[in-house]
Amino acid sequence: MEKSVNAIMPGLTARVVVNVGDRVEKGQEVAVINCMKTEIPVNSEEAGVVKQVLVKEWDELQVGDPMVILEI
Amino acid sequence: MLKIINGGIEVLVEDWPGRLGYLGMGMSASGAFDNLALGFANLLVGNSPGEAGLEITGGFLEAQFARDTVIAVTGTDMKPTLNGESLPMWQSVAVNRGDTVKFGHIGEYGFRCYLGVAGGIDVPAYLGSKSTCIFGGYGGFEGRKLAAGDELKLGAPRGALQDLAGRRLKDGVRPDYQRQWQLRAIPGPNTSPDYVTEEGMDLLFSKSFKINHNSNRSAYRLDPLPESFFARPDGGVGGSHPSNILDHAYAIRGALNICGNTPILLIADGPTLGGYMCALNVINADLWKIGQGTPGRDSITFRMVGQQEATEARRAQKELLSEASLA
Repeated sequence: MEKSVNAIMPGLTARVVVNVGDRVEKGQEVAVINCMKTEIPVNSEEAGVVKQVLVKEWDELQVGDPMVILEI
Repeated sequence: MLKIINGGIEVLVEDWPGRLGYLGMGMSASGAFDNLALGFANLLVGNSPGEAGLEITGGFLEAQFARDTVIAVTGTDMKPTLNGESLPMWQSVAVNRGDTVKFGHIGEYGFRCYLGVAGGIDVPAYLGSKSTCIFGGYGGFEGRKLAAGDELKLGAPRGALQDLAGRRLKDGVRPDYQRQWQLRAIPGPNTSPDYVTEEGMDLLFSKSFKINHNSNRSAYRLDPLPESFFARPDGGVGGSHPSNILDHAYAIRGALNICGNTPILLIADGPTLGGYMCALNVINADLWKIGQGTPGRDSITFRMVGQQEATEARRAQKELLSEASLA
């Protein structure tokens, strides 16, 4: 089953810190959002394997936008 | 006692009107970014409108109460829950010792939400205010945003808890949240014809400015202005750019600073002086709207008003934060 890790704040993608094929644990940081001149970590709510990375640095985000797809 | 389980993105102790009287020494006033939402949260739990509460920016606060009390949540709808059940907003609710309140991400409208607690948050006042200045690292709870493990003392409620629970606002009192915020503003001190062209002032009071993602409690950055905005080719003795002037005091909160081509609203924790021109000042009664403006999503327009309308709006807002607004 697939599950997306979504943006929790509006802002810009600072970076994605996982690659396709990586094993991700529940609570692990998978990406970082830049908002309010602060770097805000985005953690996975599920354990799984990274299937797809949907965003890249500087991409504009709104709350709920999918950033990474996991196979769980 | 309120025990913080998850400090979320940025949760601060803030009161209103903040730390007044120290601008001349370089200390901004701080205070609730949306003083209206904090005021209603306080009113609902029986506090004075300016009592210290929690300002929750971005969301994800989780906290547990170590005693029975009454709370109210106002501002953007972060889908708050109490022990996992939906917690109604804009009304006062009794909570028991051991209850846990939890917030999600920002709502469809607005950016900040406020948690008022009967008796307020009991942190020591520093220079007359309980407000946090995060950039200065003073005031509030240890001069910083809250983190897991923090334990906040609560003040003494102003009435019996059973009388303070279940209070609601009258219909029509609750502020209207949007994604396009119209701010009433008074032009000045640096305007047309000396610093800004007539065309530039017309643009300022007609354009819709998107709020840049690099906006926080110190400053809200807006879309850049064109070269035609400026009446001067350079800043003269103030500097090379036409937005430069000799250093002067900034009329915070609410000054629109023109920094290069970028208009920047100077607000809660903003700088108190500098060498850039200021083209308008948002009226006091509309400062709360900036605090609900969502960086990277919402937009701002300015509507020109005079001093009389600004004074009347401030008076009306003060009257709104009274028991007469309760149902």
